[in-house]
Amino acid sequence: MNRIFWALIFSFGFLVSQKSFSAPLKALELLPVQDQGRIKPYDTFARESLELVYGKQNYQGKPATEIIMTWLLDPVSWQERKIVEIKHHLVKEGLKLDVLEKYFSVQEILSNDRISLLMQQLNQKREEKAKLDPYFQALQRLEQQIYVLRSLANGSLLRLVPPAPSENPGDSMSQTWKSVAEFSESEHKLFSEVTGVFLKYLSLQVSTTKKDPSEIKQLTQDVFTKVGAFSEYAKKQNPGLYPAATDIELEVHYNQFHPFRWAYIAYLLAFLAVVLSWIFKRSLFYQAAWVVSLVGFLMHIYGFCLRVYLTGRPPVSNMYETVVWVGFGAMVFSMIIELTYKWRFILMAGTAVAAFCLIVADTAPIILDPSLTPLEPVLRSNFWLMTHVLTITISYAAFFLAMACADIGLYFFIKDPQKYQPQIKAIVLSVYRAMQIGVGLLAPGIILGGIWADYSWGRFWGWDPKETWALIALLGYVAVLHGRVAGLLKDFGILVSGILTFSLVIMAWYGVNFILGAGLHSYGFGAGGVEYVASFVAIHILYVCYASVLYRDRKRSIQ
Amino acid sequence: MVSPSSSPAQKYFSSFVRTLVRTLSSLKIAVIVIASLAILIAVGTFVEARYNSEIAQKLVYKTFWMYLVMGTLAVNLTAVMVSRWPWQKKHVPFILAHIGILVLLAGSLITYWWGLDGTLRIGIGEKNHFVTVPQTEVLVWSSFDGERYTQLFQREVDFFLDRPQNKSLEIPLPEGNLKITHFEPFTLVSRRIAASENQKMGSGLRFLVHNQRVNQSEWLLQKRPGENAQAALGLAKFNLGPPSAEILKKGSTENEIFIWPAPGDKFQYILYYRDPQRKPLKGFLTLGQGLKTGWMDLEFKVLMYFTHAEETQEFKPVDRPNPLTTSSIDFEFLGKKYSLQVNDVTKLFTDHAVYIFSYGQKRVDLDFDVVLKEFQMGRYQGTQRASSYQSQVIVPGLGEKTISMNEPLKHKGLTVYQASFQENEMGQPIASILSVNYDPGRWIKYLGSLILSLGVVWLFYNKRKESRNQAPKTEREVTDHE
Repeated sequence: MNRIFWALIFSFGFLVSQKSFSAPLKALELLPVQDQGRIKPYDTFARESLELVYGKQNYQGKPATEIIMTWLLDPVSWQERKIVEIKHHLVKEGLKLDVLEKYFSVQEILSNDRISLLMQQLNQKREEKAKLDPYFQALQRLEQQIYVLRSLANGSLLRLVPPAPSENPGDSMSQTWKSVAEFSESEHKLFSEVTGVFLKYLSLQVSTTKKDPSEIKQLTQDVFTKVGAFSEYAKKQNPGLYPAATDIELEVHYNQFHPFRWAYIAYLLAFLAVVLSWIFKRSLFYQAAWVVSLVGFLMHIYGFCLRVYLTGRPPVSNMYETVVWVGFGAMVFSMIIELTYKWRFILMAGTAVAAFCLIVADTAPIILDPSLTPLEPVLRSNFWLMTHVLTITISYAAFFLAMACADIGLYFFIKDPQKYQPQIKAIVLSVYRAMQIGVGLLAPGIILGGIWADYSWGRFWGWDPKETWALIALLGYVAVLHGRVAGLLKDFGILVSGILTFSLVIMAWYGVNFILGAGLHSYGFGAGGVEYVASFVAIHILYVCYASVLYRDRKRSIQ
Repeated sequence: MVSPSSSPAQKYFSSFVRTLVRTLSSLKIAVIVIASLAILIAVGTFVEARYNSEIAQKLVYKTFWMYLVMGTLAVNLTAVMVSRWPWQKKHVPFILAHIGILVLLAGSLITYWWGLDGTLRIGIGEKNHFVTVPQTEVLVWSSFDGERYTQLFQREVDFFLDRPQNKSLEIPLPEGNLKITHFEPFTLVSRRIAASENQKMGSGLRFLVHNQRVNQSEWLLQKRPGENAQAALGLAKFNLGPPSAEILKKGSTENEIFIWPAPGDKFQYILYYRDPQRKPLKGFLTLGQGLKTGWMDLEFKVLMYFTHAEETQEFKPVDRPNPLTTSSIDFEFLGKKYSLQVNDVTKLFTDHAVYIFSYGQKRVDLDFDVVLKEFQMGRYQGTQRASSYQSQVIVPGLGEKTISMNEPLKHKGLTVYQASFQENEMGQPIASILSVNYDPGRWIKYLGSLILSLGVVWLFYNKRKESRNQAPKTEREVTDHE
């Protein structure tokens, strides 16, 4: 019991250390900004802007909040720094840049005489209304990067002051906030107070002398009063449009605390604990795994709660959110099946899937956009929409879990099918159960999708690729379940199909949006990551092939 | 089942039926049907990604193969339920799961046969009572006095599947057959100006203005001979034809050039400045000769000139559709060849009559007008992104109603949905696109869905005990090894 307690403290210790860390710029982070159709804290604005330009939320250890502000105040000093991320090699070749480099300076890009040529290409492609392939998507990102850097430098991107109440409140353009570039003289004066303390903060940071705690305290206080004065002024312009302080604080908390990261750290620890419990055959590790899993699970739920509160909608409206949701589903199902059978490896598979999902979601911000973006019209406030997406994606979690279990099962098959007979039997059953849960959710989920389509535009079924691929995945698993009953698939067959059939889910979940790129569900479309997903599938296929060859040879040698 | 007194023929028959049911209900057939259905519709999604949903329907989802697979599935499902006869209590979830699919398929078939799924486009402040449906038709009307028209021909056609290039469609008309010879599924229609033999046509001139940043060419096309044509490009106006007597006398208050043909393959010009202090430029140019305009540092050139010019549409076939492509047909009438894009109308004049020939989507008359009083659009703050949109419509007998996303209007068995909208170049909405729908199979599909979902969940819930028995008896067996 001692160790469980220790594990608990260990997890919470992390949290506490995170909590106590408070920077002098805290008040600045909370300043409301209007950007891309919603009000967000400056912290989010800075993170998203830097993410777009540089691909990360910090630059050489400096947080986005600092980088973006210095860019606004002194763009010239940034001209030479390598801050623009370009990934696509054709874009680099098109600009005659070094293909091996990943980051480039604004100077290099803007003074390039080929940039206008490339942008013309992009515009032509847009005029033709053709689908943008990855090359043009990369160009589009470059266009946005240039836009963000330019408009940040001229002050037109950072919108800080709401407009005075208008007679026509329905008009969205009358709700446009005033940017730094449009400030009146008095506003400039107020804002320069803010930037003044920011610069003081910077100079304090670079000074080599030992930092005086009282000086830092004083600075924190200064930032607080100056930013406070500014936001007080901004709020007075139109209190109806200014956000509540608690919402802004909560969003900054969500950004900085990052509950999903704590969740996957806990899941990884839990996974490790299960592995240790196998190796050392100590049930203590198993109990610890349960406790840490639960901690991770609570973090996961907490993250969802924050996100749902901040966006005001269920968390399944883009690829990022579904990945996080699938990780959640995998945990739920694995804990349920594990509780019934107590075979250990189901929890192992569940924590592995959940950690995998959350890590993928966390490391690919350009492909899986984690920002809290406003929704397309069709997706707004609809009960059927949300239930169908929640049901379908959670069925993917069950199939993912089935695949992870099948992976473990094949490992036993590779080692020794005779010796591990009980384990294999148990795993096959878990895979089978997980598939049943998946089918039991996917079939009603697809039907709910039909009801939504019927309700929204009067068509129950329209062979839209997204719904069609969900149906294909369902048919795949239904075929496997029938094949099992018909005796076509024995234990080995169930394991193999548990792995291979998941490719259909990957196609339905990721492939339709990122490879096919067609159909009505285009609001979730994105680009990139094909190579990673393809290698994920390829590795599993190789694994299955290897196991199959061994299995066949063994069978022969027995005969 | 078979009574001992039955004849050998009856016995033979009933055993035949039993064998047939057993064969048709076989799980192997089920697995094969499921797998082929999956493969077939997967192909459909790739066809859709390459072309569009309409073509995917025609090439995959509404083909013989699809019906064959679906039919086999239905037979297989029916057989499997017959084979369980007489049904017992334990069969209930199994029967539900499978009968649900049959009901669902039946509902879909009814929708497909008797349903209506069309589009109603209404401009803001306008009305419409025609719903367009995906099916296409050709229509010919004629008039001998130019006022009263009579319909001569109407036929529903599917040129995508029955290409006229394989078998042309001949429409008999009093003065000769109209023959549709070719169908092009993806055509880019562009405007083209060419020299014309027709003396009634005005002249056309193509010019270029350029400096270091600007490089723009444009056509000036006179509607009739002698009627000036004008184009305004940013900072200046360009006229084909001499200035009016008034302008000649007073000059122009704008940056403006007048150019017209002069003897000896030359063009005469007068160029005015907005700045009244500057004197107009006058002189002669040849084709391709540059003229320093003095407007910024723009140079002016005449690129092409036709005494009689005519604007025609040029049809260019392309491999794949995109939002700018349309489909088109070629046809012949009285020895002349024509092209026509889908949903377009052309007038054909002969010595005795005028014919109106149209090719396009069929229209269904609603029997009542829908008036679009207003179209409202919400946008996300500070952006042009739509957050919601809705149509304010007036329907006879219902009065004023709002149709918004997810809030359709129900009237006379029809359901009217807000589907999308059209914008002009400025991003202002100009028309609302509504989808009009009649679905007699709806409740059958819903019933099937309910039965199926209930069955699947119940079935797997019941499997719990069964699977428990197959599993290792104790946890120890699994967790302790070696």
